Amino acid sequence: MRHLPAIAGRELRSLFVSPVAYVVLSLYAVLAGFFFLLALLQYSEWTLYLQAVGAADQLASLNLNDTLIWPFLSLMSVVLLFLVPGITMGLFASEKANGTDELLLTSPLTIWEIVLGKYLAAAGLVLLLVFLAGLFPALLFWKGDPELGKTASGLIGLALVGLGYAAVGAFASSVTRNQFIAFALSFVLLLLLWMLSVLAAIQPAMGALGGAGSWVVDLLRYLSTEEHFQRLGEGLVDTQDLAYFAVLIGVFVLLTKASVESVRWR
Amino acid sequence: MIEARELTKRYGDLTAVDSVSFEIQRGEVVGFLGVNGAGKTTTMRMLTGFLPATDGTALIAGHDIFGEPLAARRAVGYLPEAPPLYPEMDVEGYLAYVAALKDVPRGARREAVERAVTRCGLSEVRRRVIGNLSKGFRQRVGLAQAIVHEPPVLILDEPTVGLDPTQIREIRSLIAELASPREGETQQAVILSTHILPEVEAICRRVILIHEGRKVVDGSVEALTSEYGTLDQMFARHTYAAEPTGAPAREGGAQT
Ligand SMILES: Nc1ncnc2c1ncn2[C@@H]1O[C@H](COP(=O)(O)OP(=O)(O)O)[C@@H](O)[C@H]1O
Ligand SMILES: [Mg+2]
Repeated sequence: MRHLPAIAGRELRSLFVSPVAYVVLSLYAVLAGFFFLLALLQYSEWTLYLQAVGAADQLASLNLNDTLIWPFLSLMSVVLLFLVPGITMGLFASEKANGTDELLLTSPLTIWEIVLGKYLAAAGLVLLLVFLAGLFPALLFWKGDPELGKTASGLIGLALVGLGYAAVGAFASSVTRNQFIAFALSFVLLLLLWMLSVLAAIQPAMGALGGAGSWVVDLLRYLSTEEHFQRLGEGLVDTQDLAYFAVLIGVFVLLTKASVESVRWR
Repeated sequence: MIEARELTKRYGDLTAVDSVSFEIQRGEVVGFLGVNGAGKTTTMRMLTGFLPATDGTALIAGHDIFGEPLAARRAVGYLPEAPPLYPEMDVEGYLAYVAALKDVPRGARREAVERAVTRCGLSEVRRRVIGNLSKGFRQRVGLAQAIVHEPPVLILDEPTVGLDPTQIREIRSLIAELASPREGETQQAVILSTHILPEVEAICRRVILIHEGRKVVDGSVEALTSEYGTLDQMFARHTYAAEPTGAPAREGGAQT
């Protein structure tokens, strides 16, 4: 594993030399600002409304975490759906397009070093995005009193979603030499993963699949990223949800390794 | 240094390389000849570990490419048909990266890059971005990455293809120079593929000719010239066997 820094370092530098990193970072920052403002306005409007109608009960149960931070983080996870494929599309596809895969595969490296080095680079950029997103809820601590634990677990959830998406994107990049195909493929895969929760949440669809409690619905729910992210957003740090992300990342990193290796054995 | 043992590669029904064996010693510069599609690239890709052999194996500096793949790969400098360059990197940064991949110790990397830059005539472009370099310079950077870790074995796949005559002359003299090391530099075993006969006459002392995946000729340029008259005739005899000798020179054939 001693080649990891060299591989990850080159990958990161290439992300920052090409406009990819800057485009992704600035887009994410701008969208985060926009959605945060939106969530903030909605929150204050809601507060004013509840005050006007005198709904004291509801007003009392209103809190920054559930009414502001969670909707914001949830939106930011949807943004990751679009941006992470942009980060990962070049990981392996561009090596093949450049012919530099021939350099990597004839150097004294293991496939693991190549795959993990590249994944680490993508993960680094993803974590930077999550850090940017985290700055906005952090502002609330200045004026308000959100729960630290809940906010942190939500952010950890967002980071895990991003890392899971990066593993899926890395795999998509490893099966093609065309970056656009890699982008499209990872976007489709991520969309499917994301839609599972929507599907499981639609009552008629659930009915068709045997209703709540049927194993199909349970499975869909379990496979959906959204489902596990939501629990972290509610402040419930459960090993089951953490294990889900670990398995998601592990499975796609393994698939990526197999796919890179198969070039050698084709 | 290089020992190919019945190397074979099949793509489905097509046998691209058919039981090719040869041995190349330190200090030898061998021209690996054959028409397009003869199996040169496939053979070199097996030697470098990029492609697995369907059958047979090879030893690189005594290391079996299957048994000790990392040690074997460490001993090889390889210039693929298309130089493996990152267009966004500068020349020095790229060579330092390759040195790290090839296990040049951290403390020795700067010196290794310096030597490769000097030997390949890259001093004036060392800080330039590779994507902006001319084709000739890019080929030199490709050569520089192959020698940056001073490997005992050098494998060059059509190092002069696509260059203009001046660049071809420069690259050839560079290879000739790499093959005849100066004081203190170690001797290398060099194998370079080509279908250009004057290239072979200019820098190789030994020739291996493959045709349709099989080795058909292996001998010194001197002996082959006296046997066939010219390398061109040797080439024509074995690659257009169905035609009468004295077949017109084909693409890549030298004027006699
Ligand atoms: N990946 C591949 N799949 C199928 N056939 C291939 C592949 N690579 C090369 N070949 C075939 O193998 C033969 C040898 O090719 P190659 O080694 O590239 O020849 P050369 O380098 O001498 O021009 C050719 O007939 C070529 O079409
Ligand atoms: Mg070739």
